[in-house]
Parts: sequence; structure tokens; C-alpha cells
Amino acid sequence: MAQNVYDWLDERLGLQAIYDAILDREVPKVNWWFTLGSASLFLGLMQGITGILLSVYYVPTPDHAYDSITYIMTGVKFGWLILGIHHWGASLLILTAFIHMLRVFFYGAYKYPREVTWITGVMLLIGALGMGFTGYLLPWNQRSYWATTVGTEIAGSVPGIGNIILRILRGGTDLSALTLSRFFSLHIWIFPAILLAVVLTHLYLVIRLGISNIPDEDS
Amino acid sequence: MKEEQKKAYKRKYEQAKRKGVKFWPDIIYKDLLVSFGIFILLVGLAAFVGVAVEPKADPSDASYVPRPEWYFLFLFEFLKFVPGKIEWIGTFVLPVLVILVLFALPFLDRNPLRHWKNRLTGISIMGVVVLGMVGLTVRSVLTTPKKEEAVASTIQEKYALGEDLYSVNCVECHGPDGEGGVIAGVEGLEGVDLKSISSRDEIYTRSDETLAAIIDYGQQDQGMPPFGLAYGGELKKSEIDALVMYMRYTWDDRVELPSDAASAGAIPELSAEEIPSYEVHISRLAKRYCISCHRPGKENNNYLMGSYQEMLTSGDNADHNLIPGDLDSYLILAINGQSILDENGEEIIQRMPPTKMMKEEYIHIFEVWVLNGMPETASDAEALTVQGQE
Ligand code: HEC
Ligand code: HEC
Ligand code: HEM
Repeated sequence: MAQNVYDWLDERLGLQAIYDAILDREVPKVNWWFTLGSASLFLGLMQGITGILLSVYYVPTPDHAYDSITYIMTGVKFGWLILGIHHWGASLLILTAFIHMLRVFFYGAYKYPREVTWITGVMLLIGALGMGFTGYLLPWNQRSYWATTVGTEIAGSVPGIGNIILRILRGGTDLSALTLSRFFSLHIWIFPAILLAVVLTHLYLVIRLGISNIPDEDS
Repeated sequence: MKEEQKKAYKRKYEQAKRKGVKFWPDIIYKDLLVSFGIFILLVGLAAFVGVAVEPKADPSDASYVPRPEWYFLFLFEFLKFVPGKIEWIGTFVLPVLVILVLFALPFLDRNPLRHWKNRLTGISIMGVVVLGMVGLTVRSVLTTPKKEEAVASTIQEKYALGEDLYSVNCVECHGPDGEGGVIAGVEGLEGVDLKSISSRDEIYTRSDETLAAIIDYGQQDQGMPPFGLAYGGELKKSEIDALVMYMRYTWDDRVELPSDAASAGAIPELSAEEIPSYEVHISRLAKRYCISCHRPGKENNNYLMGSYQEMLTSGDNADHNLIPGDLDSYLILAINGQSILDENGEEIIQRMPPTKMMKEEYIHIFEVWVLNGMPETASDAEALTVQGQE
């Protein structure tokens, strides 16, 4: 019975081909450092799941953001856990992605034929930092408010166009409700959409090219 | 890369694959194990470290020391070394350059070899950069002051803060218990009769938000000054919140203060034999009943009560205010409701506090203190007690 269902689905969906291409492929023997990419992926997934749950209660306005976070921490069942995971997950993601990059660098895995994998990887790192920067403002507390004030000021110091960048980021000359809603939509729509596309490309390339082997001394 | 180099690489890679393993299950199981470990770590961090509580954003409080997320600290620290004039090189040119180099790395590094021994230059450059980043991060953590000031976070701390703020800022007009009455000794409001702000009528009908708003921008038409930073006062949002909390818990009999918080700010009672000290008793009484007027910038005959030293040595009549063992010290007379006259019969000091006299038992504490020579610390006072008994 199960076999029949499987065959029926396989004929239409090509499950066997997916299994052969993704799971049943041969890969060189590698070490534990090679788990960091999938660890980043796992953390990214966790951020997505906890982030979606947080968006149920979070209100992106200066009047209510702080209180909605307080409510998530104290009023919502397991709210503290969801927010806690999201909070710490962000830091761990940056850490694992960075060390993952260092291991790729150390083994020279950015060289032929994985140049594009590397480039998409750099995009992922920048995207993750962007997520961190925009997410930091959302709780609308002293720490986030002043860190973002300084952070956007740094962007504003670019000669010539600095002022324009600053105003685009803040939605005006000062941090305001507009800044918060801009950062919010960057954090939950724009960056995630871009990151999703880039992650999928990254993974496609990893599967297509295979994980690199650990280089020996004469290569 | 030349064609034959590419071919050589591919040959090697195929060999490695043949000696290798299957992705499923050999690689995946390691990946899942690590991810699972990370999950446990995350739950642990969320449960045992949690998310730090910060006060709400307060745009008027520019004294806050900004601290970016830890992974930006190295950049933040690095910028401190860049002189202001060329700041944009540090904030813009260098980061963009680093990002471009990262993107272009596979094309900049034309060396076909991959083992680290054959790429010492590249590895060392990366090593120096990473060590620099770690070093800057550590430096930043070590050099940034922990926090601008301790943020009152527990109910107890907040209540105590609110109590202090109330004594310093509000007592001179509203009285130590919010009871109001005729104002005396306050410029511009002399003789104004204030209604109580602690009565049921008042406290039941004012929400926390209303109270905070009144304190923040005052009721200027009626003489209540604004206290919010944004309106020319000197209180931050968090401080106003603490004040409101203090008022609510002290005057509103519908809410009860958790008992541990109640004891924090209370004035300790004096037992029969005990000798009071500045540290334990007088400083608190002064804070609650006197400091609102006896601090710099107020009319008070230059008599300041912010510290032990000040209490003993400041004031136009410093020689007479506190005389060890003498109950005719001006301070004692004044708190007993006697005004002090000069030789021409002019009043130089009115009764203290001018609005309403302190409770009998508090006046008694001051008297015992003066009789015993005004000990500063609790242990000084204790030594006196022991002597007295011998
Ligand atoms: C310079 C004198 C002065 C000081 C200092 C002062 N107030 Fe007032 N306050 C007033 C006056 C005058 C009014 C108007 C009273 C009235 O309507 O009877 C008032 C009104 C109020 C009211 C509103 C009463 C009502 O319900 O209409 C509150 C609440 C209040 N003050 C709280 C405070 C607090 C808290 C502080 C300390 C941070 C403070 N005040 C410091 C003079 C003062
Ligand atoms: C409402 C404001 C106010 C409060 C509260 C207050 N004082 Fe005074 N105090 C004054 C003023 C004003 C003077 C200056 C003399 C005068 O005008 O009476 C003064 C003067 C004094 C002096 C004389 C200083 C000198 O060297 O001439 C003493 C002592 C004194 N106060 C003690 C106290 C004590 C103790 C308390 C608390 C229990 C207290 N005061 C509370 C307003 C205040
Ligand atoms: C959110 C961030 C990222 C995710 C989810 C991710 C995911 C992955 C995964 C699952 C792999 C398979 C091999 C392994 O796990 O080590 C991989 C490989 C790779 N990654 Fe990433 N990565 C991320 C960031 C980066 C960054 C920042 C870089 C470099 C700048 C990078 C460059 C590469 C390269 C070149 C490979 C191929 C390595 C090889 O075949 O040995 N990745 N990535």
C-alpha cells in the first residue's frame, strides 16, 4: 500500500530523483568544521519561525513597540522563550556564519569552481548583519534607540550623499515613527525575501558542485 | 585558472569523492547533531540568561551611552582611532573596500593551491584582520562604562528611587505626604493653598499616565512646574515613571506594595536605648523632609544637607545650627517650630520645615542625635551606646 502511494507520487513528483540528487550523493570525507554552514541554515530557519511568531504580537509604533515587547516577555505563554531564542539566535547566526566563512577561507574552498558560492555567501553575511542592525531598533528601548541613532549617523558621514542616505534610513532628520516602520519592513519583508533567494542559490550551488574536500599538502 | 589546472583539480576531487561517504546519512547526521546542540544552547540562553530589560526609548535623554550590538563593536571601537576630519574614510571608504575585497577574493587570489601551507600570505593577512577584530571588540567591551547609571529595575529599587525623587522635587510644595496646605518658603507661590494630591479623590481619579503627564509638563497656569527634560525640567522618563509608581503605592490604598519593597525606603525606628546616626537615620529624614529646600540653588541661608560634612559646616549660622549636646542648637529649635530672631527681633530662621512640622518621633530622633554629639556612622553610634551603658 505504502509502496503504491509512493510509486504513484514518485511518478508525478520525481521523488526518487530528488533523493538521488540531494541525499544519496557522494561527498568527500570532511570534518566537524563543515557543519557550520548547515548550523547557520538551521539558525536562519529558527529566526524565521520565531520571527513570524513574534510578529503576531509586536506593534511597530513608538507608542506601542516597547509595551508589546514587555507583553510578549510577561503576558504571552512562552513569549519569553520565543523572544529569547530570536534574540540569542541572531547573535549565534552571525557567529556561525562568520566562522563558516573562516573555514571556507582556510580550506581555500572559495576557489574554482566555487567562486559564485563564495559571492552568494558574502551576500548572506551582509544580509545577516543588515537583519541584526534593523532588528536592533525594533524593541524601541534606550539601547536600541541610541545605538541606531549612532549607527545611522555613521551612514550619514559618507561625503556628499551622506545626508541623503541618513534621511532615507531615518525617514527624516531624526529617528521617528517613520524610522521604526522603515526598519520594520526591512527586517520582516525586504531582507528576508532577498536572503531567502540568496540562501537557495547558495544551497543549490553547494549541492551542484559538491562539498569541497580537505586539501592535502601538495594541492 | 588554466584548463589543465582545472582538470587536475577535478581529478583530485573525484578521487576524494570515491574515498568519501554518502551525504545521507553520514554527513547529515553530523549536521543534525550540531543543530540539535545549538537548539539546546538557545533554549538554555533564553531560559537562564534571558533578554536584558532596558528602559523605554527616551529621545530627550541624550546622556545615554550608545552601545551597538556586539558584532558591530569592533567597527565602533575602530572609529575612535580615526581622527574626526577623515572620519568618512573609516566609516565609508574602509568598510566598502573590505566588502569589495571579500566579494572579489576568488579573483584577487589567483594562487591555484589550497592547502594553508601553500598560501601563507593570504592566511596571515586574514589572521591579522580577524585577530584585530577580536582585539577591538574586547577593548570596546573593557573600556565602555558598564552603564551610564544603574537603572532601577526591581520594584524595590524603583520605589526607593521614586521616594528620593519625590523628597527632592516635590516636598517643598506638596508636603512630605502629598497633603498640600499653605506653601511657605517657595518663591512665587508664597501663601498659595494647595489641595492634597494624595487624597482618595485625587489618586483614585488620576491614572498613571495622567500623573506622569502632569509631572512631565506641569500645570503651568496653576503653578505646577514642568519636570520632564523635554520641558525644561531635569527628570528622565524612567525617573518620572518611578515617581508615579512611588505615589501610587504610597497613597492609593487599592494597590499594595510588595513587603520587601516597603521596607527599603522606610525610616528606621529608634529603639529605647539606641543612639541614631547620620548614616542610618538622619540622612533619610533629611532626604525626605529637608533636602528639597536645602540643596544648591534654593533659598535656604546657604544651608545644605546633602552630606554629613555639609550639614555640620554649611549655612549662614553654621556656628549655631548644630552644637553637640545642646538642644538650643538652631536646627533643633527650628524643627520644634520656634523661629530664631536676631538681636533686633527680626526673624532670621522660620520654623523648619516651614510648611508642616515633622512627626514628634522624627523630631525626637534629631534631638537624641544632637545630645549625643551627632555621630556619623552606625558604628560610631553603637560605640556611644555601649559607653553610655558602662
Ligand atoms: C513649585 C511648587 C511645586 C512643586 C515643586 C511641585 N508641584 Fe505639583 N503642583 C503645584 C501646584 C501649584 C499645583 C496646582 C495645584 C492645585 O490645582 O491645587 C500642582 C499640581 C500637581 C498635581 C495635580 C493635582 C491635580 O490633580 O490637579 C500633581 C499630581 C502634582 N502637582 C505632582 C507633583 C509632583 C509629583 C511633584 C514633584 C516632581 C510636584 N508636583 C512638584 C506646585 C508644585
Ligand atoms: C520649604 C523649604 C524648606 C524645607 C522643607 C526645610 N527648610 Fe530649612 N530653611 C529653609 C529656608 C528658606 C531657610 C532660610 C531661613 C528662612 O528663611 O527661614 C532655611 C533655613 C534653615 C536652617 C538655618 C540655616 C542657617 O545656617 O541659617 C536650618 C538649621 C534649617 N533650615 C533646617 C531644616 C531642617 C532640619 C529641615 C528638615 C527637617 C528643613 N530645614 C526643611 C527652607 C526649608
Ligand atoms: C546565512 C549564512 C549562510 C548559510 C545558511 C550557509 C550555508 C551553507 C551550507 C549548508 C554549506 C555546505 C557546506 C558547509 O556546511 O560547510 C555552505 C557552503 C559554502 N558556503 Fe555558506 N552559508 C552561509 C554563509 C556563507 C558565507 C558568509 C560565506 C563566505 C563569505 C559562504 C561561503 C560558502 C562556500 C564558498 C561554500 C562551499 C564550501 C565547500 O564546498 O567546502 N557561506 N554554505
